[in-house]
Amino acid sequence: MFIDINCAQEKKYNQNTYGDYFLSRRYPDTGTLIAVLSDGLGSGIKANILATMTATMLLKFVEAGADIKTACEVIMNSLPVCQVRKISYSTFSVAHCSEDGEVRIVEEGNPQFVYISDGVVVEPEFTVIDSDTFKNRHMHIYKLQLKLGDRLIFCSDGVTQAGLGSPDLKLGLRRSGLIKYLLEKIKENPDVSSSELSKFVVRAALNTEPDRKAKDDTSCCVIYYREPRRALIFTGPPYHQEKDSEYAHEFFNSKAKKAICGGTTANLISRELNIPVRCNNVRSVGKLPAVSQMDGVDLVTEGILTLTKTVEYLENGFNESEKNAAYDLMQFLLSSDCIEFMVGAKLNQAHYDPNLPIEIEIRKNIIKKMAKILEDKYIKRVTVRYI
Amino acid sequence: MSKLTVKICMGTTCFVMGASDLQDLQELIPERFGDDVEVTGVTCLDYCSSCSESQAPYVMVGEEVVNKATVEKVMEIIDGKLKNGQE
Repeated sequence: MFIDINCAQEKKYNQNTYGDYFLSRRYPDTGTLIAVLSDGLGSGIKANILATMTATMLLKFVEAGADIKTACEVIMNSLPVCQVRKISYSTFSVAHCSEDGEVRIVEEGNPQFVYISDGVVVEPEFTVIDSDTFKNRHMHIYKLQLKLGDRLIFCSDGVTQAGLGSPDLKLGLRRSGLIKYLLEKIKENPDVSSSELSKFVVRAALNTEPDRKAKDDTSCCVIYYREPRRALIFTGPPYHQEKDSEYAHEFFNSKAKKAICGGTTANLISRELNIPVRCNNVRSVGKLPAVSQMDGVDLVTEGILTLTKTVEYLENGFNESEKNAAYDLMQFLLSSDCIEFMVGAKLNQAHYDPNLPIEIEIRKNIIKKMAKILEDKYIKRVTVRYI
Repeated sequence: MSKLTVKICMGTTCFVMGASDLQDLQELIPERFGDDVEVTGVTCLDYCSSCSESQAPYVMVGEEVVNKATVEKVMEIIDGKLKNGQE
């Protein structure tokens, strides 16, 4: 199963920064993922620092091999109390998820998460651990076994308390109001992504406020177990030409969404499978050759220049006026969960001609860089195969 | 007389070496030659990798390979071919 995770946030009205902090990391080697949502005391910079510290410490702790329960217990017992308000510096929720569906959750102070399975809310059992040092602190520990289609929704109290004190909702949206919205949305769109659902919840919370301004930092994190969306990218001709046909067929028969990056690669697949490539637009778009078309392939682009530009966009964001082939490739990659690159190892000597006006990067290096960004920044599962 | 086809290579080497400057052919050719000539892009003509010294950008005019192609050079070759009634 693939774990689709996303978090949407809105900062408190009139503040410059978020007082909630969300952090998540995927570990492809073990097929696990850790997500932390922390709510810092107050709002603005102070809250941001407190929440960031709590979330980062928790993640580092678990990463270093500490048991999630132990890590949370240490944090719970050591978080200071505000001298003025006599309440904790921050609250948190941590989820340690495995791709086989096993999930361990620890909550301290945040609203209780919502577990939705088959369109129904499940209220799982939990154990309570009291803090040794602070009598009003205790954490809830859950151990769950999720299945395909199940979702977990975590929120900061900005969501459950949205609209607090308003004439219609004196006690705010509360968990029951949140559940109502969630079930309605899932009924309307059972495959709704984590990104869309988390944004929907934050929007719904804002709409609950009479003036639509967030009274507190508002965050929603959704974890959704689903079938992964797979993408396959073929770039560069294989090192052994006699294997062209084998690789072309393998590529074409894959059930994943497909992209070809490279003119020679597109020709090779076209030749081996007898499918024409159409290149109707010779006019370059945004300083890159325009995309081509091939039946059965979702995207066909030029190679090195487009890949290099895509890495730039993935790293720094797209901020150009024209949507070019690199933008299309970026969208293609970001709309997938599991991305496989088939990288042909044959070099085109012409690319390294010193007379070329620009330096052309080696394909292998670009893909390596792209894979790292996709894994680290976009939490994608990436495999690279050199052929 | 069948239509004369002009194929502009849109591969990496050709694009970097000036094929991006050849895009005006898409408008210039129909303007001057009307329906007698068809312009299309190709993902790669594969000449850059087969020659020891690259002569990119490449354009195919009918069966003729034009290396170090420029708009003027391509227009001239098309002109010559149409005048001679070739292709």
